[in-house]
Amino acid sequence: MLASIVLSGLAIGSIYALIGVTYNVMYSASRVFSFTAGTLGMVGGILGSLFILRMGLPVWLGFLLALAGGALLGVITEIVAVRPVLKSLDQHLYVLSTLALALMVQQFAAIEWSTEPQPFPRIFDIARGGFDQTFWLPMAACVITIVGLELLYRHTLVGHAFLAIAEDNYAARALGLPERNLRIASFALAGVIGALAGFAGGQLLLAFFANAPLLTFYGFVPVALGGMGNNRGAVAAGLILGLFQQAANFLVGGIFASVAVFTAFIFVLLAFPDGLAGASAQRRV
Amino acid sequence: MSITRRQALKSAAAATVASSFAKPAIAQKSPIQVGYLPALTGPSSSTGVGINRGTQLAIEEINKSGGIDGRQIELITRDTQSDPTKAVNGAAELTRGAKVSVVFGPVNSGESLAVTPLLARTNTPQVHPCWVDSLTDAKKYPMCFRNAPTNQQIGGAANRYVFEVLKRKKVAVISDTTGYGTASVNAYVPMLKQMGAEVVYQGNVDAANPDLKPEILRMQGAGAEAIMPWSVNAGFLSRIINTRSQLNWDVPICGQTTLGSGQTKALLDKPEYWAKVYPNNFRPVCYGEGGKLPDRTNAFLDRLKSAKIDMGDTLLWWIALGWDSPNMIAEAIKAVGPEPEKLVGYLNQLKNFPGVYGDISFTADRHDGYPDQQVVMVEANSLKDGAFNLAPGYGA
Amino acid sequence: MTDASSAQSTSRRAGLFGSAALSHALPFLILLAIGLALPLFAGGYWGVIAQRACVYWVLVSGLNLLVGFAGQLAIGWVALLTLGAYTTSVLAAGNATPALHPYLALAIAGVFGAIFGVIVGLPALRLRTFYFAITTLGFATIVTQIALAWQSVTGGGVGVPGPVFPPPFDSQWGFYYFCFALAAICTWMTANIAASRFGRALTAIRDAEVAAEASGIFKPRLLVTVFIFSGAVAGIAGGLFASLQSYITPDAFTIELSVLFFIAILIGGRGSILGPLLGTILLTVLPEFAAPLVAWSTFLYAVLLLVIVLAIPGGIADLLDFKNRRPLQSNRAIIPRPDLLARLLGQNADRGTLRLERVALSFGGVRAIDGLDLEIRPGQVHGLIGPNGSGKTTALNVLSGYYAPQRGAAQLNGVTLPALVRHTRARHRIARTFQTPRLVGEASVLDNVMIGGTIDGRGTFAESLLSLPRHRHDEAMLRETAMLALGVVGLESLAAVRADRLQHSELRFVEIARALMLRPAFLLLDEPAAGLSAEEIRRLGALLSAVAQTGTGVLLVEHHADLIFDICHHVTVLSLGKKLAEGTPADIRSHREVVNAYLGG
Repeated sequence: MLASIVLSGLAIGSIYALIGVTYNVMYSASRVFSFTAGTLGMVGGILGSLFILRMGLPVWLGFLLALAGGALLGVITEIVAVRPVLKSLDQHLYVLSTLALALMVQQFAAIEWSTEPQPFPRIFDIARGGFDQTFWLPMAACVITIVGLELLYRHTLVGHAFLAIAEDNYAARALGLPERNLRIASFALAGVIGALAGFAGGQLLLAFFANAPLLTFYGFVPVALGGMGNNRGAVAAGLILGLFQQAANFLVGGIFASVAVFTAFIFVLLAFPDGLAGASAQRRV
Repeated sequence: MSITRRQALKSAAAATVASSFAKPAIAQKSPIQVGYLPALTGPSSSTGVGINRGTQLAIEEINKSGGIDGRQIELITRDTQSDPTKAVNGAAELTRGAKVSVVFGPVNSGESLAVTPLLARTNTPQVHPCWVDSLTDAKKYPMCFRNAPTNQQIGGAANRYVFEVLKRKKVAVISDTTGYGTASVNAYVPMLKQMGAEVVYQGNVDAANPDLKPEILRMQGAGAEAIMPWSVNAGFLSRIINTRSQLNWDVPICGQTTLGSGQTKALLDKPEYWAKVYPNNFRPVCYGEGGKLPDRTNAFLDRLKSAKIDMGDTLLWWIALGWDSPNMIAEAIKAVGPEPEKLVGYLNQLKNFPGVYGDISFTADRHDGYPDQQVVMVEANSLKDGAFNLAPGYGA
Repeated sequence: MTDASSAQSTSRRAGLFGSAALSHALPFLILLAIGLALPLFAGGYWGVIAQRACVYWVLVSGLNLLVGFAGQLAIGWVALLTLGAYTTSVLAAGNATPALHPYLALAIAGVFGAIFGVIVGLPALRLRTFYFAITTLGFATIVTQIALAWQSVTGGGVGVPGPVFPPPFDSQWGFYYFCFALAAICTWMTANIAASRFGRALTAIRDAEVAAEASGIFKPRLLVTVFIFSGAVAGIAGGLFASLQSYITPDAFTIELSVLFFIAILIGGRGSILGPLLGTILLTVLPEFAAPLVAWSTFLYAVLLLVIVLAIPGGIADLLDFKNRRPLQSNRAIIPRPDLLARLLGQNADRGTLRLERVALSFGGVRAIDGLDLEIRPGQVHGLIGPNGSGKTTALNVLSGYYAPQRGAAQLNGVTLPALVRHTRARHRIARTFQTPRLVGEASVLDNVMIGGTIDGRGTFAESLLSLPRHRHDEAMLRETAMLALGVVGLESLAAVRADRLQHSELRFVEIARALMLRPAFLLLDEPAAGLSAEEIRRLGALLSAVAQTGTGVLLVEHHADLIFDICHHVTVLSLGKKLAEGTPADIRSHREVVNAYLGG
């Protein structure tokens, strides 16, 4: 029983963590908190099921196309919902624009795909076991993403440019960095990560349009607890959230589990207002 | 005002309303307006989507064959989106804007609870297929009729099957965290206890929970001999079935009709897992003696085939109910006309309306129209052409 | 100016304000008329929609103060609607207590809403915007889940019937008028707050928090007051909602509904009452027009939302702000009127000396101030100069309470001023300006200046809600004083203009006018001449000299050496956090080290 809770907790936690990373990548590039992160996760799962099960494409091709779909949605998000509201960040209009876009995509999925959860293909043709791919696929995706991002940020020019934009927007522009293209690239990258979360977690969460609000909601908790823009914090917090949620599900039952999760979340946040990792002090005057 | 606006928007949008009547010329009779409140989108739309297929077909057929005494039926649809607030707005438009003669729906209990008082205030007759027991009250809401079983009937049949036929004394009852799920568990557990069964596990589990192994292990640990799930969420139900088989735990699963839907089947890891799963269903749409369906049902299946209506991802009885209801309403209107009091009077004396999925009867005191004896248990993996065999050991 | 002409201009101003007040109230009066006459031209269906709009607006009007004015992202406020709905229904049905009269149940829902509003809102005092938003969503989930679980009281999944109000409010139009009356009252009350020092203080917290603190606005107390009010009206809205629905179940309180409330305020525009009111009406009515599309209606709704936010980013309020589209005079000059100072500042009681006593302050490893003594005497202009990074602004910040020194303290007349309790400085009549002007861009210049006098108001929040005499007296007093202050700095012709339309130099003078509202014993200025033309600097100097002459002690942190040497009585030179030299301007000008380090040649 404990093993099962730990396994499913880490698996679902990995998915939450990846959605948290998706939020972070979009935030770092634009200072905008985009409510489309959970929708990207949903799209990854649905596209995976669409290409591999319904259209019969080979798994690797379906995987790449699903990621491409996520990247496309990420770019659309940047153009339609983020760029127009960058001028008035303090008015929080991005809440409205990204929420509206997320709702459009969700409704489209509900009508065109299905309002019911659809099966997600088995990725590797191995028999089901204790440590099943349903569980380790999301965890592997999480590890690969984090390692990949570290390599990107530390060892590539593009990665350095991403960091520069995130750190100091004005200075980066003054240095001649193509801010707009980098932002588009960031959102494409966020789209890929979100779709990866949905694809890797497809066997766990199925191809379901209602995954979108679920992931939007629970995917933010790692961001808040880990500190905005902090990917490592998001992963740690995501895994903790997954474990806590599964433990709560088991100990207090389905209804009170979400009460427990949010009560704990509120208390932790009140104790650590800048997230568990803390944030840099800013000059106010 | 509302009708012309609606028609204008309809032509512009990719609507799913398939009303196929032609605009009547001035000399022809005016259409009869029937209100319709399905949940076609939103979290609880599986029932509504299934029912809708039957309803659209019925309306189309009625209108093609001349309507009711030459008057076409205009089905005015408002998608409740599984939301009681939208259901109330929709009901307000149907009764006060369009002024329909009768309303079919809503199909979800939470929405019906809010809509029924509103329809009562405007003296609009209502026929709905929701299960929650408190939804009909012949004295308080004399114009509201239910052409589906109640929670008591459904749960009673399942409980009796588990306790008396399968002879399982220790039962695990599980549902999701929706209103329907929690209400069901709260209703069925006392019923089981009253019968003398022992409820060793009772739980509400979040339908989005990806792993139900701890819960199933808990049931096992408590010594459960049968699992009774109550949920319309195919993902949730399929996880229960899959986990039971993964643990090689040989206990029957007996409960909600959705256990037998094509949706649930598609989500099973292996088709074999569907063995020993016994959902509720309804005798008229099940194979009887000699593996035969009633003639009515066969005729209906032929109809569905020629209309190319897909059954594979839903349940036959939903489509059948969706088809029966407008036909029942149309028959009433044909007999006594569309005035509310006359319709109510007619329905109050309805005896054995031959619906495909059941024979509906009402009296002035009893507005729950589905007969007890037609609620049955079936064997899920006997699904063939939309219909099931009765569950083993199931007597009359 | 003679008395006759000043009386003329006062009455002209009153007339201006009078007609401005009428044009301001006109849209509300039109809506009032339409609402009252609704049964005459609308059918029962639109009556239900109108009821819903009124109920939603009762909640949104309170939430507007929190979101639109105070800038707090309370996205999950549906938690209070749920609480109010269940409280009213359960009490009226008698599930937990003997059945109560519906009006009493509704009132209790308001009380519970007020209490719970504080609970849900409190994290805002500690958390940043996004985090607070998610905690409110968390509360929304928690309340709904408790309603689902507590079956014995709330009916669990099956829910409870809503309350039915007694005649004449039990008929459809009767109930409509009940909701409409409450909606109208809420509109009136929140409009009163918007035009009060509390409303201005809320926008100050939102857009210029440091300036708000310097003006004496204490954020926690003000926000808690708003939580109480917003929670109370949301609870009452919940009771009305339950009656409208006839029957409530947990699945009626969706996150979509909560987001709708929030979006209505965003679409309406910040700092406005009319905007969110129209936004609420729009968002209640819009889905009805999309409804014929059946399954695609929500999709269309989302598309329309996106179009709205892209087309009118400032919101409906911005769209309707015709006043601020009129072009401004292009060659404006700032001509201060120091002769008006006597009327504004009156007699300045001698408050003693403001002092920094052996203050040391480090940021991490950097020693910003190293053992600094600084003394500001009444009636004197004390200049503080030095190279960048010498600690000038830091010293000012310690004086005004924004930084806490590791050693030493700021003292007024020998009494230590507590560090970091910034809002109390205003009470001691210590006013300041900022290196970058901190103003509420979307508010008028006059409103911005009136913020400076917030602590001089006597009326309470409740008195402002109901527009009681003390509130009106406060408003008249603050308005008059602010116009006077604007006259002193020479900007009274721009009083009604939105602050973000002004030039940089004008903004600096507006900040000074705001500071003067406090009738300060001490005025601390952080590089006020930056960005000013030579002529403007000269006028600024004359103004500051006049201010000092009335008895105010002025601290002038500056880079412009001419200004310093022209008007200062006393100059301190800082370098690397230490005092390099001190004395009269003549002393400093010839001081060898100062010349080498800073002044040059």
